[in-house]
Amino acid sequence: MIRVDPSLCIGCLSCSNVCPSQNILRTETVEERRIRWKRCREECDLCVELCPARALTLVPIDESAPEPEVSFPLVGCRICGRRYAPEPMLRRVEAALPKSQSPEWVWDCPACRRRAEAERTTGEMVAARRRRRG
Amino acid sequence: MAFYVDIRRCIGCRSCEVACERVHGGRGHVQVHFVGDSASVPLFCHHCEEASCATACSFGALFKEGERTAFDVEKCTGCGLCSLACPFGVVWTDKIAHKCDLCDGRPEPTCVATCPADALSTDFDLLARRARSRAARAAAQGGRR
Amino acid sequence: MTKVLVPTVCPYCGAGCGFFVAVERERAVGIEYMPDHPVGEGALCSKGNASLEILHHQERLTSPLKRKGDGWAKMTWDEAIGLVARGIGEAIREDGPDKVAFLASSKCTNEENYLIQKLARLLGTPHIDNCARLCHAPSVVGLNRSLGAAGMTNPIPDVANSRCIFIIGSNLAENHPVISRWVHRAKDAGAVVIVADPRATPTSWMADIFLQLTPGTDVALLNGIAHQIIKEGLMDREYIAERTRGFEEFEESIREFTPEKAAEITGVPAEEIIRAARAYASSPASTILYSMGITQHTTGTENVQAVSNLALITGQIGRPGTGVMPLRGQNNVQGACDMGALAEFYPGYRRADDPGTIEFFSAAWEAPALPTSPGLTATEMIGAAASGDIRAMYIVGEDPANSDPSSLSVKSALEALDFLVVQDIFMTATAQAADVVLPAAAWAEKEGSFTNTERRVQWSSKAVEPPGSALPDLEIICMVARSLGLDFDYPDAASVLAEINRTVPQYAGITRERLAKEGGLVWPCPSCDHPGTPILHSSGFRLADGRAYIVPVPYRPAAEGQSPEYPFLLTTGRIALHHNAGSMTRRSPSLIGRAPDLFVEINPADAEKLGIGDGDLVDVSTERGVAQAAARLTEGMKRGVVFMPFHFPGTNILTTEAADPEARIPEFKVSACRIARRN
Repeated sequence: MIRVDPSLCIGCLSCSNVCPSQNILRTETVEERRIRWKRCREECDLCVELCPARALTLVPIDESAPEPEVSFPLVGCRICGRRYAPEPMLRRVEAALPKSQSPEWVWDCPACRRRAEAERTTGEMVAARRRRRG
Repeated sequence: MAFYVDIRRCIGCRSCEVACERVHGGRGHVQVHFVGDSASVPLFCHHCEEASCATACSFGALFKEGERTAFDVEKCTGCGLCSLACPFGVVWTDKIAHKCDLCDGRPEPTCVATCPADALSTDFDLLARRARSRAARAAAQGGRR
Repeated sequence: MTKVLVPTVCPYCGAGCGFFVAVERERAVGIEYMPDHPVGEGALCSKGNASLEILHHQERLTSPLKRKGDGWAKMTWDEAIGLVARGIGEAIREDGPDKVAFLASSKCTNEENYLIQKLARLLGTPHIDNCARLCHAPSVVGLNRSLGAAGMTNPIPDVANSRCIFIIGSNLAENHPVISRWVHRAKDAGAVVIVADPRATPTSWMADIFLQLTPGTDVALLNGIAHQIIKEGLMDREYIAERTRGFEEFEESIREFTPEKAAEITGVPAEEIIRAARAYASSPASTILYSMGITQHTTGTENVQAVSNLALITGQIGRPGTGVMPLRGQNNVQGACDMGALAEFYPGYRRADDPGTIEFFSAAWEAPALPTSPGLTATEMIGAAASGDIRAMYIVGEDPANSDPSSLSVKSALEALDFLVVQDIFMTATAQAADVVLPAAAWAEKEGSFTNTERRVQWSSKAVEPPGSALPDLEIICMVARSLGLDFDYPDAASVLAEINRTVPQYAGITRERLAKEGGLVWPCPSCDHPGTPILHSSGFRLADGRAYIVPVPYRPAAEGQSPEYPFLLTTGRIALHHNAGSMTRRSPSLIGRAPDLFVEINPADAEKLGIGDGDLVDVSTERGVAQAAARLTEGMKRGVVFMPFHFPGTNILTTEAADPEARIPEFKVSACRIARRN
């Protein structure tokens, strides 16, 4: 079965995506993401290999141990407030990007990033068109 | 190769979205955004020189291949870090990542070929030429437009 | 696996873009673009890209159906044709041929339209029309009178040669998206773009001068512009003297029509009207593009006339980059009219009330007893069905229950018929009222020619088989005609086109062989060695003395105006993701998914007064009924004016039946309405 180090897990769902036996369950509300690893008897260690956070290990089955479960509150977008990602994922992305890119925009949700990009690229043109319309 | 938008030309018809979806098995990578009721602009992967999505990917599923930011679906775990790392919000994750592949294997990206308004191009110089031509005309008309 | 690429013409708008349908194992599996195509250069809009979604659609009609209780029963073609022949035959025998009416289809090929009108007229009824009545009937009437030909005068790509493009009553960026590429090419070369529309639209985004007029005041705007042109001496005196007649009367008629007076009526500032007048008249090549914002009025014919007056007094016609350009809505609405599927015209625009016409077709068709007068128009047929003057109808590929004004009364009129046959690819609202429904083939399931809005005749090939036992309209019409005792011996579309070559002079040189070898040909093409005529009127007009007619046009207000009870003007139109009555686009997942609901656009200040927020469900009411829609707040609407797209069933419940007295087109563009938030 799988042992989870909750201090390393970032809540990304890779393990659940790659599990061939649907043994890693996910539930997501607007507020939080929850992941539960069922007591798995497979010899497979795909989730362990493909965990970007190296948070998982394969250990012998232990019927008395509870099924591991973690939950992450989702972080609200700085602009629209919609909750969009677990904080450890965002911290990890922010740390991975060069400081020169000043990546504070990771705290904006992708939809707001697109809106900002659309407004930035068209701003001057929109102002001109509105002037023309009077 | 990358491609460019002549934002003055975009008419918000969303043909690029429908065409992209059509050739990518129902999952499109372009999204047309409307700015109030005065403009629209298609948003898609910039194929950044320093691609944040590739930097964030732990398994090398996203990588630079010449000018293109390429994606190898075999290596993707669907973690979504790339989507959170894209400054423009145009790398998508839906159990698996998907993004613009510049229509690999086709002579030209489908969105470019289909754009009714001729707003998309793979030729940066074309956009520059159009802009120069408009500027020259404006100057000749005494800057009245 | 071998993939075959079959060239077809897009089934949606009148631009006539071509594309290849990729066929694998007898299924349409993809689209390949056609970069050499003269209109689209390979481009396709969202609808074109989604067009294959309707070919293998699960709701396609696959078998002839007859009414059985509240539902439908399948039947064989033999039984179906027998029922149709009996129903139509009985109506003719018992009530007379003029109690039967036919609606041809601007979605069908030229060959099919030719046969439908021939069938109607050989059966002795003059009542044949098509939905051009609802979009460009005023262009047919008005341009035939003033210019001697009804059609775009110049090709679409020629717009790039214009130095001033005046777009009035057309949202071409959404409805003919590929045309915007040519407008932009002209802009890059310095062209000025003028857009006149009650709404700000993606078309108005292209404008240098935007004239946001009140719906129904087009004549006032155009007369004001003409007044200013004459006042400043910007007209082309030489052209007026050599090529036109009627200028003096026209000049006199607009003497009082100053830009200030026009401004008062239209709500457009006088200085903008003056700017537009100068830009249009003084450019070396100006063109006017217009569409249903001009035609769908009680003054539709007058609006068209006012447009052509402007071109004639400035000589902006007959040369590259100039012209009068009615942009037509359906892929073959031009062709359906050319083929005589019109109440007042036989094929080739020969007048139905001209004895010469009857003599010609009596000889050509060996038919001694052709109807000798104009028939009822599409909308008049519906009224006649309600009153009992029409007892049986045969409707091909049209959906009046959705597309006609005041649609609640249309449904009851159709139900009042003794016998109704509907031939279509889907079970439309109109088909729901039928006694017999015949399953037809879609565009890529048959072959034939289509004529686009610039008069370009193109051959479209068959890519796949129709679903189930559906058949091409051409085969169905021939079966029906034969069962009614007529000699309709046409093995294929090419054999019909050969007859068209003999009976329609404009198409005389447009043969099947040339269409295959040379691609599209633009009519008039009077002989097999003629290259076609992309630009009309370059050496005079096909009217008396070869002169065009400048017609004085008085301003008349729309039939309905704002009142305390109905304080808003409702105007209707189209959006990029849908097409006309929506029977295809509302079934196309990638289109309906993007534009799922009926909405009403309203100015935020008006909405605030009514306590309406963006996205709120509202009731829009007129004297004719109520429709629900989601409010969309936009600064692009003028105060006091609201807009609804007509692709959804609700909209035409509201529209008025008031029609142009001559062209009989309903005033879809102006209905007085009120709006209230739903609780």
